Amino acid sequence: MVLPRSEMEFLQPESWAEALAVRAAYPEALPVAGGTDVMVELNFARRRPPALLDLGRVAGLADWGTEDGLLRLGAGVPYRRIVTELAGRAPGLAMAARTIGSAQIRNRGTVGGNLGSASPAGDALPPLLAAGALVELASVRGVRRVPVAGFCTGPKRSMLAPDELIAAVLLPPDAGPEQFAKVGTRNAMVIAVCSFALALRPVSRTVGTGIGSAAPTPVRAAAAEELLVAELPWADRAALPEPLVRRFGELVAAAASPIDDVRGTAAYRRHALGVLAGRAVRRAWAEHRRGGVRG
Amino acid sequence: MSPVLGAALDRVDGRAKVTGAARYSGELNLPNLAHAVLVGARVPSGRIIGIDCRQASVADGVLTVLTHLDLPRVAARPKLFPSLFGLTAHGQSFFPMQDDVVHYAGQPVAMVVADTVERAEHAATLVQVNYAETPSVTLLDQGRDQTYEPAKIFGGLLPGRNPTRGDPEAGLRDAAVRLDVTYRFAANHQNPIEPSTTTAVWDDLDRLTLHDATQGPTATQLSVAELLGLPPTMVRVVSHYVGGSFGAKALIWAHPTLAALAARRVGRPVRLVLSREQMFHSCGHREEQEQRIGLGADRDGRLGALRHDKTSLTSHYDDWAETSLEAPAVMYAAATYAGGYRLARGNTITPTFTRGPGAATGMFALESAMDELAYEIGVDPLELRLRNHTDVDPSTGNPWSSKGLRECYQRGAELFGWSGRDPRPGARRDGDWLVGTGMASAAYPVAAPMNPQRARARMYADGSAVVEAGISEFGTGALTAMTQVAADGLGLPFDRVRFVGGTTDLPNIAAAVGSAGSGATSSAVHLASTGLRDQLVGQAVADARSPLHNADPAGIVVRDGRMCLRDSPQTGETYVELLRRNHMPDVEALGVWQPTPPDGGGHGMFTFGAQFAEVAVDADLGLVRVRRLVGVFAPGRVLNRRTAHSQLMGGMLWGLGQALLEATRMDPHTGRWANASLADYLVPVNADVPDITIDTIEVPDSVVNPLGVKGVGEIGIVGTSAAIANAVHHATGRRIRHLPITVEDLL
Repeated sequence: MVLPRSEMEFLQPESWAEALAVRAAYPEALPVAGGTDVMVELNFARRRPPALLDLGRVAGLADWGTEDGLLRLGAGVPYRRIVTELAGRAPGLAMAARTIGSAQIRNRGTVGGNLGSASPAGDALPPLLAAGALVELASVRGVRRVPVAGFCTGPKRSMLAPDELIAAVLLPPDAGPEQFAKVGTRNAMVIAVCSFALALRPVSRTVGTGIGSAAPTPVRAAAAEELLVAELPWADRAALPEPLVRRFGELVAAAASPIDDVRGTAAYRRHALGVLAGRAVRRAWAEHRRGGVRG
Repeated sequence: MSPVLGAALDRVDGRAKVTGAARYSGELNLPNLAHAVLVGARVPSGRIIGIDCRQASVADGVLTVLTHLDLPRVAARPKLFPSLFGLTAHGQSFFPMQDDVVHYAGQPVAMVVADTVERAEHAATLVQVNYAETPSVTLLDQGRDQTYEPAKIFGGLLPGRNPTRGDPEAGLRDAAVRLDVTYRFAANHQNPIEPSTTTAVWDDLDRLTLHDATQGPTATQLSVAELLGLPPTMVRVVSHYVGGSFGAKALIWAHPTLAALAARRVGRPVRLVLSREQMFHSCGHREEQEQRIGLGADRDGRLGALRHDKTSLTSHYDDWAETSLEAPAVMYAAATYAGGYRLARGNTITPTFTRGPGAATGMFALESAMDELAYEIGVDPLELRLRNHTDVDPSTGNPWSSKGLRECYQRGAELFGWSGRDPRPGARRDGDWLVGTGMASAAYPVAAPMNPQRARARMYADGSAVVEAGISEFGTGALTAMTQVAADGLGLPFDRVRFVGGTTDLPNIAAAVGSAGSGATSSAVHLASTGLRDQLVGQAVADARSPLHNADPAGIVVRDGRMCLRDSPQTGETYVELLRRNHMPDVEALGVWQPTPPDGGGHGMFTFGAQFAEVAVDADLGLVRVRRLVGVFAPGRVLNRRTAHSQLMGGMLWGLGQALLEATRMDPHTGRWANASLADYLVPVNADVPDITIDTIEVPDSVVNPLGVKGVGEIGIVGTSAAIANAVHHATGRRIRHLPITVEDLL
């Protein structure tokens, strides 16, 4: 049997409306933004989609601004611009963006692409979880905004419908102290062994967390969040009690469901998450005590 | 010597490489070029019971599919032999696709040739191979109960057991302090950025040209000619630029011959590029191994006995072990010594040279043990080395050709700030980090080819010169350094000399391996250049029209292309004046260097150095970050300070990788490497590179070769991993006796 010649359509819309129309017409087309994940998969012949839907020319997709009182980050904003332009508005996301890949990858890779890949190791996802971000999904049928927490449904699976595209992420406008930390075998260009993001929101006295590379999807540590909400000395900004830090680390570790793989053991990941969580809350709380109320 | 020798000049090929103008073997666009892709065995052991190429054969663009059923038989069984010796230099005593037996996973079982590389890759996935798999041995532990002591290793050149000195068992028994420790090493792969590549072109007269990425063009020529049953006159190898090698291209593996056979079959030029994954099972690797060290010392730390035994995994058909015992055997003045190799046979390609072959592992074991001994007896680790320093080669009692190690220790300790080190482990904290320092000695043998090494120098009537030798440039800076040697020898400005290498049409030089390339090539280039200079000086003094007529040649010097009397520089003439007056378009000389014999004519020949490291270990996460490295080496004469330092720095970073990152992990269930990619086999990246200080101590050496060049290709890695591991111990109190060190070791 001779396999059919496998040619690939390359669809390159110039406007968002056109992109949504193409997406609806070719639901089997694989959307590609920076290509830092997709091209690797194509080069290794891990997937062979019948068509690529390149979003690189869509006007406005790489813009950011405020909308409905939220920080709206277009799906096509590359990590480099998040680092240079958004370190103040989205500090946790900017910290994560700084750790991603190499300079070349940060020039190309986007948060929209990270969400589209829906990898449990996507470095941008834990800070989005911690910040309580929304994902804006669009199709010719309309627009919906879903919490990032429910967006990933499994390893490399998401609730993105076949005719939908990721338009943007929306973050609270005034971030409080945020932290992101990851463990990697080397200092750069490495897939995280595990990662952890924390967001404190002193005005609302709420807390967000995000765990990466330690479960089938990026996950929150809900019990750990509740612990901090209840027990952080919000009122007087007193020093952080060590037992609280320890307990927080334990609850974060308990929220993960890691596996053994070539990058690390499940036991190490759990242990490291506890350590990262403790450090994150110490640093974030110290910033809160130094800097006063920001969010 | 003129100031050009040793100067930190820019690389002559730097612009070409940076701009992409330099063409590598896989970048040649030849008319009608076809592409070969290999299909590797999916099982590590067994037989091929069926191979179905029907789908692949009819896929678009496919020109042929070859298997063991139809690939021509090679004319000779290859025999493993190191390429340094200038003869055939097969990487292993096995050639694939000659029968149905599978010795290791990844062994080529089919080859697809198509009109584009994409079509060849696609068709390669359509080849259906059925195997009768048999139990395999892919880990040292699986072969441990079947080990044997080989009669010879290293292509039959070295005994399986080193010569014993005195009675080491008695030495150990009688020692006041004894240490018996075992160190384990993960397999390592060389991982040059350019994968191995050959483009094969047969001409109308059945002559073969191979554009091959190789450390030794002549080695490729002779080895492929032997397998094809051709005289070497019918095989020409071109290899100008090579994108790194690190041992992967030191010996000749199957792919150049397979490319030649494919090209002959399809009647078109054929390019064969190994994929990154194929690089993990096509050109050997540093074998998984363990080394046991026994040290016996008196209370002051003076060694009375050293026992060093290595056990490692080799292939079914070659007794290969990297020569880990050689440098440690002569490092210190141990009164008694014994050391030997044991091998286990497994389902693996024959292991081979990998960055700092032998010494990188052997010196890790010895220098880790020495650090343990220093702590055992409470002596500063550097002081312990000095107490055991030897001014003669302890294996023979012969003097060293040169040493310089005491100076390396002293300079390194100064640069690093070693003195006053608090020896207590686990006593320094910097935030989340535990900080420690460690050091190690380095030694690497100075090897030389056995056969004469040649270069040719030709000067034109305009006073420019070209100097040629058949070397490839694989990133070391050889083209630049050899231009400097030639300019120095000829008495010409650097920019009037061009050095050309890269083909077997040029005077023969052995493969540049084992840190021997700069010594061998510089010797031939020096002799060719000074020979041509002497020839021209001789002509001038014999020329009645020359101002130098009847002068004593010994009193004549040449500077900037002008010959003149040393004592009366105004008396003289330029090369150009001499050549033009005599209507000579050019003049030429061959330089032939007969290398120093392996025993150095009664000298021990090693390169020495000293390594220092500062590390920080995250106390809660186990992460190790190297903060500083200082390496001081005594490599004889340095030909170009910049490229030499770059090579030494690269070597130290190999050592950082060996210490903390590099491991090829075998999955014993599949018998295949589990991390055969650069995303999973981690090497250091820029963000891992610490503050590195390098210095060289230039000790004159009149034994090793005419310019006293001992080479810088390997010594940089030697001892780095031990210095780092010793610093990890100093930081944490934990003694890690295996490489690489992982986070889990330090929790």
